Amino acid sequence: MAKKLMKGCEAIGEAAIRAGCKLFFGYPITPQNEIPEYMSHRLPQVGGAFVQAESELAASNMIYGAAACGERVFTSSSSPGISLMQEAMSYIAASELPVVVVNIMRSGPGLGGILPTQSDYAQATKGGGHGDYRVLSLAPWSVQEAADLVADAFDLADFYRTPVYVLGDGLIGQMMEPVEFPEDRKPLRPLPPKTWATTGWRGDRPRAVVNSLFLDPIKCEQQNAKLQARYAQMRAEEVRSAYYGDEGDLDVLVVAYGTVARVTLTAMEDMKATGLKVGMLRPITVWPFPRDALAEAAERAKAILVAELSCGQMLEDVWLSTASMRPVHFLGHQGGVLLAPEEVSAAIRDVAAGRSAEVRYAG
Amino acid sequence: MFEDRVTVLVGHFGSGKTEVAVNGAIRLAEGGARVALADLDLVKPYFRSRAGRELLAAAGVDLVAPEGDDAGDLPIVLPRVRTLCADPEVRVVIDAGGDDTGARALGSLSDLLGRLGVGFDLVLNFRRPFTPDVDSAVAMAREIEAAARLRVTGVVSNTHLMGQTTPAIVLEGCALARETAGRLGVPLAAAVVEERMRDAVDEAALGCPVFPVRRLVQPPFDQEGYRVPRSGPLFRVL
Amino acid sequence: MPASGCDAKAVFGLPEALDARVTHYCPGCTHGVIHRLVAEVLDELGLRKSAVGMAPVGCAVLAYDYFACDMVQCSHGRAPAVATGIKRGRPDLTVFTYQGDGDLASIGMAEIIHAANRGEKITVVFVNNAIYGMTAGQMAPTTLPRQVTTTTPDGRDPDLCGHPIRVAELVSALRTPAFVARGAVHVPGEIVRTKDLLRRAFRHQSEKTCFSLIEILSTCPTNWGLPPDEALRWVQQNMVPYYPLGVFKEPGGIDRAPKPL
Repeated sequence: MAKKLMKGCEAIGEAAIRAGCKLFFGYPITPQNEIPEYMSHRLPQVGGAFVQAESELAASNMIYGAAACGERVFTSSSSPGISLMQEAMSYIAASELPVVVVNIMRSGPGLGGILPTQSDYAQATKGGGHGDYRVLSLAPWSVQEAADLVADAFDLADFYRTPVYVLGDGLIGQMMEPVEFPEDRKPLRPLPPKTWATTGWRGDRPRAVVNSLFLDPIKCEQQNAKLQARYAQMRAEEVRSAYYGDEGDLDVLVVAYGTVARVTLTAMEDMKATGLKVGMLRPITVWPFPRDALAEAAERAKAILVAELSCGQMLEDVWLSTASMRPVHFLGHQGGVLLAPEEVSAAIRDVAAGRSAEVRYAG
Repeated sequence: MFEDRVTVLVGHFGSGKTEVAVNGAIRLAEGGARVALADLDLVKPYFRSRAGRELLAAAGVDLVAPEGDDAGDLPIVLPRVRTLCADPEVRVVIDAGGDDTGARALGSLSDLLGRLGVGFDLVLNFRRPFTPDVDSAVAMAREIEAAARLRVTGVVSNTHLMGQTTPAIVLEGCALARETAGRLGVPLAAAVVEERMRDAVDEAALGCPVFPVRRLVQPPFDQEGYRVPRSGPLFRVL
Repeated sequence: MPASGCDAKAVFGLPEALDARVTHYCPGCTHGVIHRLVAEVLDELGLRKSAVGMAPVGCAVLAYDYFACDMVQCSHGRAPAVATGIKRGRPDLTVFTYQGDGDLASIGMAEIIHAANRGEKITVVFVNNAIYGMTAGQMAPTTLPRQVTTTTPDGRDPDLCGHPIRVAELVSALRTPAFVARGAVHVPGEIVRTKDLLRRAFRHQSEKTCFSLIEILSTCPTNWGLPPDEALRWVQQNMVPYYPLGVFKEPGGIDRAPKPL
């Protein structure tokens, strides 16, 4: 197929359809309305079903049902709507169901605004709802990568029987870039048949019961252990990150993801003439966090600069991963204000010149 | 194009209406005209003319869009749009919302615009997923005309792939735009060509006037001299 | 079991759609009767193998252990949304929810109204016993005026809590075609009639006609503080007058929705 010029939201929708997803349930919220609009246009063409739910609460429970009967399904929303979905996310994680959830993040807390932020990082990486669970969270930095990661997200969800988030800021959802879809994509892993799905009990398998109620504490603890074993496997096998910049010793290592990593890359190109040795580690999975790749890069660096569109959420994972081995500095905006390449390059120069104050964990 | 005193730009979501409108308004202002750019995109709040407030102010273009801390996002048509359209001393560019959905707000102005006899240009990018061919472009034009209660008077070819645009892509899109214009019975008003690749495009092969643009609607990482603006994150600041 | 050599045949047994186990329901609670009616109807209509049931949060949460078909346990009130997800993904399945009054008429009011309004081809079994059982006796949206509960110690005051919600009447007011009825299981005659309502409801689903909701008046001797036989009479004396029995809406039949303009 010839390259198309697509908004991130449109590319996400098309990628889902090409991944075999025939069901979408969602509720309008800016800045991701182009996803449900795209799905309402495309799903009838492929024999699928689109439902505009009465709320995000309902939409998230509709995907719970669709996943329970073994169908590929996804929903999308933006920050306040994702908060409303957390009840179902906890149930879906506990019941071991595969779903894909796209969060096109906007500013908060509260109703906030409609412009891009990365301030749902903690929600996406620490569980989000009640109980001990994690969701695999993928953070694209371009429209093409958003499409590619949506395809991967369906495979990962099916393989691990877990919710998988695609975490994009508003810029990823709204900006247009050229994108193409591979015609011969193979699944990331061999995917076993969904023998656990509630497709009607004909006696040829055990009765399928999708459930997260375990009143017996021992059984509930065993279910937790089962989930944790799966998370351990994800930590061992699914961590993704990319490194850019100098391969030797570094004056400054920047840690950034999503569009902030794009801004940082522009900043690094702009400041090549300064002679500063700069590198950037870009987490692609924000959970599981690429702690080993970060620790390895941090070994080579004099200092670390965390850049993100929040008040410092990924910052905590950087502290935990580097265990205070290097001083950590922070650059952020909130509320929908973006980072400019000049701001990032100025911050890099300040860190390298000792003009920036180290930030320490404040609890 | 931009030959009529009032020019309305319509097209599918992301077809490039805002890019053409802002470039055109600035060019008219550079030519010494009194220019007003009316942002009538009430449906998609991220990429629209009002995000270029500083840019337009610097160029001396009067941006007609809701203002104020919280009013900047209101989906309303300002009364001043009518006043300016009726003023024979002012050149007006109207940047409509995408699709027939976005063109609906034009219906509320159709009494005045119909009487004035305005330029009503359809901007087409055949690399956008909703208009892959001439049939879909013609169908979309008819839907927009029905919603806006106005007839398309010209077609603007704007097929591109941002930074990955090649001369071949421009020519391929222009041929489809010409066919669309023929089907609609209107002229192919112009082909949009980025200034940086003007030399590479065979203008004779386009067979219509070239409308040169600088890409102004860009995320910050693709811009030189980007600084943090108040009015929106997505515009180059000259 | 008939004795060896006897030519008697079994005329009563466990429905195939019920698992052979003892339920947790209290003595005199009529959840068990309603489970049985649903199971019998699934058997008789040949729908057991295509059935997927939604268990609620509330006393019937363990229904997933009792019905011998595939089951999904849902979060509180969301069963109609979960059922929507399944039915839209697999229209060939027979999808039903089994919900109590707190689950359906309080926390899940948005989900039930919108599932009904979309005309989802699912069957909702709504068990109304006028009280919260699982959390031990709080006020339900269907608790009667002056009825004492642990959160209305002086009896439900309609000035403060509003009047009990008549769900069947509310749902039948929607324009979307549906089969909506109310039955009861406190006397044998009503049990027979209620089974007929359930049969019609599941038939509407299998024939893809419409959404169906059967409200069934039920007992809660434990939280009402009444012996089982008195609880059955309490249904007749207190609930039936406020919650009239019968069909409220059926395609081609009675329709209580406001007429179109």
